[in-house]
Amino acid sequence: MSNILEVHGLQTLYGASHILHGVSFDIKAGETVSIMGRNGMGKSTTLKSILGIAPPRSGSVIYKGEDITRLPTWKRMRQDIAYVPEGRGMFHNLTVKEHLLMAARKNSRGEANWTYDQVLEVFPRLIERLTNKGTQLSGGEQQMLAIGRALLTNPDLLILDEATEGLAPLIRKEIWQVIRKIKDSGVSTIIVDKNIKVLNELCEMHILIVKGKVVFNGDSETLNENKEFIEQSLAV
Amino acid sequence: MDTSLFLVQLLNGVQYGLLLFLIASGLTLVFGVMGILNLAHGSMYMIGAYLAYYFTTLTGSFFLAFIISGSIALLIGIVIERFLIIHLYKRDHLDQVLLTVGLIFIFNSIQSFVWGNDPLGVEVPALLSGSIKLTDIIEYPIYRLFISALCIVVAVSMYLTINKTKLGMMIRAGESDRAMVENLGVDISKLFTIVFAIGVFLASLAGIVSAPIVSLVPGMGEHVLISCFVVVVIGGLGSIKGAFVAALIVGIVDTYSSVLLPQISSMSIYLLMALILLVKPQGLFKN
Repeated sequence: MSNILEVHGLQTLYGASHILHGVSFDIKAGETVSIMGRNGMGKSTTLKSILGIAPPRSGSVIYKGEDITRLPTWKRMRQDIAYVPEGRGMFHNLTVKEHLLMAARKNSRGEANWTYDQVLEVFPRLIERLTNKGTQLSGGEQQMLAIGRALLTNPDLLILDEATEGLAPLIRKEIWQVIRKIKDSGVSTIIVDKNIKVLNELCEMHILIVKGKVVFNGDSETLNENKEFIEQSLAV
Repeated sequence: MDTSLFLVQLLNGVQYGLLLFLIASGLTLVFGVMGILNLAHGSMYMIGAYLAYYFTTLTGSFFLAFIISGSIALLIGIVIERFLIIHLYKRDHLDQVLLTVGLIFIFNSIQSFVWGNDPLGVEVPALLSGSIKLTDIIEYPIYRLFISALCIVVAVSMYLTINKTKLGMMIRAGESDRAMVENLGVDISKLFTIVFAIGVFLASLAGIVSAPIVSLVPGMGEHVLISCFVVVVIGGLGSIKGAFVAALIVGIVDTYSSVLLPQISSMSIYLLMALILLVKPQGLFKN
């Protein structure tokens, strides 16, 4: 299986503070990968560096064999990457329906595996809310809309940052079920989350970031073997 | 004031209001979506009027001049955004003021250099000249009705574009969270060029259609800019719906006050603005 994404030696700074100290990892096509770590360790920055939102000072991002390190964010997204940011990125002046319609497009190969109707089928809760504004939704509904909107761009790589943070347990479960469905549809996915138990079972590969460095990168089996170290690194 | 004068003034007020909307909508759209306050917006109105004069004289046809001037205005908008405004997005408001005030000086110099400082006029096109009988005793110039109709068509098209099309949804989304729009794979810089060019086009369009009913004089852009600011502030910064309602109110108040209370007419719209801001400090339709 070929790599869909290769990240080499990312060094990223926010102003004077050095956040990433040479982050490197690969993701195979179709794989679901978790990125774990305590708050402020550089998980979100890693995602933002991959997407060009926080451009790295050095290092490279190779996507589908092509160096995209210097591309503007929107051009990377056009190559079938979708991003659900922490905070969900709702538009206060667009309805739920408009959120979905404005984002919908075929992927770069001209295929549309996800349609408006399919997204609503996966998130039936949104059907009753179609005419509400994005910011009028509950946290869980906003998350569903953010994921649905991302799916409508028909991505090959989906990046989810804290998709279940601050949600009620039942809603959380619903979100995980959808992520499982996305995984089954063959989309490569990067998930930043804190729930090791679910991630362990859902993801093939796991990356642990501590102070801007990858300190663990392995499959679920290896993760279990190093459970003590991982839990220690995640404990506050 | 008798009924017929009252009605004619109402039509004048509505027509002036619709024209103000045409200009103010561009100003508020650019501010709302791009966060750019274009002080040279009035200059675009002036340039539109002078271009209309130039090409009407050159071609002998106002309608041809209309099309040529409108196209040039779009081009001017694209060039200004691509080469100048593009440097402002990551800078503060003071830099916007400096650049756009500089543009006012440049456009005024161009106007003075190319067309001179004497007042100029454009004739009402033959097809739209003359008056129409509204009642037995009231006549109204056809050309002014044409301006109102055109403004209404533009207002409706803008409403439909912004509310019903994908481009409009993207524009509104850009107003709300431009980084997220980019995250969805939209080329925000192209979107900004389009929005800015539309803004310039709307102001110039107002200048073009006004050319046959106003006299073309230096400084006409600044005068209209100030009225536009009143409209935009009353309507709520960035709100197109607000600009529409405010422009009609300002147009009607300005027209009636100059007939009924000529002593205070020059300050009437500012009084109106002050009163509205006392009740609604954010303007009528601020989100």
